[in-house]
Amino acid sequence: MSSSIGEKCTNIKQEYDSCFNSWYSEKFLKGDASPECDDLFFKYKDCLMKVLEEKKLDTLLADARKDNPFPNASSSSSAPSSSSSSTNSESTRKD
Amino acid sequence: MVKFYQHTSSFEHAWDNVTYAFWLRYPNPFASHVVGCDVIDRQVDPETGVLRTTRVILKQGVLPRWGRGMIKNPDAYIIEESEVDPKTQTMVTRTKNLNHVRVMQVEETQTFTVHPENPKWTQVKTEARIISELRWGLTGRVESFGINKFMDNSAKARKGMAHILERLRQNAALGATPVAAAAAGSPDC
Repeated sequence: MSSSIGEKCTNIKQEYDSCFNSWYSEKFLKGDASPECDDLFFKYKDCLMKVLEEKKLDTLLADARKDNPFPNASSSSSAPSSSSSSTNSESTRKD
Repeated sequence: MVKFYQHTSSFEHAWDNVTYAFWLRYPNPFASHVVGCDVIDRQVDPETGVLRTTRVILKQGVLPRWGRGMIKNPDAYIIEESEVDPKTQTMVTRTKNLNHVRVMQVEETQTFTVHPENPKWTQVKTEARIISELRWGLTGRVESFGINKFMDNSAKARKGMAHILERLRQNAALGATPVAAAAAGSPDC
């Protein structure tokens, strides 16, 4: 079973994961996005944030998250057209 | 110097199940190097209904011999940001390494959509960028190593997802709900 990066958070993480998994498959994918696992998530995050600080990951993460990976996030129409790609192409090129 | 990689593949599983398997994908027999995975942030955008998640993944890296002198700590932390839009049935995930970035930065984007030729399948488009800022003639070597390693890992990641999807399918065939199936098979990240 995969664990939390902080061993002491693994139990609460797995409790949260179970809640999320049910919510995701039974509610979210079926159109109901109302939150259900927030309490567990806050408990889990409390534990995790301490671990990230201890491991000095908090600053690395904050820096990494400065680049918005989804600049078009405000519009939900980010579905790419899938027409042009061939079904199995691999390529590498140098810049 | 930068190297690019792109690949399009498909899973013979419905989009819903593939995105669900994405959350369950660790542990699997093809990812023994993944030792931890945590959700840092997760929320549904109230306007768009899109689920945004940030996770951090800890991998115990396997370094080539020539890299061991350069890197003291072989653990690699990966940040993974994702968006799931259930309306357009699109999941986009973006990952990059948090540490060892001077040696090599790998940024990968995957887009999961309903397969254009079969609505019961899922198409996955993978794009990656591998960058090294090392000097002294090592850059090319690092990037070649990076691209080869990336392709190996990418193939393993597909096998891992296929493994989880097959497990979900088998459990569904036994009459379990996907959630019960996941519980039976250790729900994780």
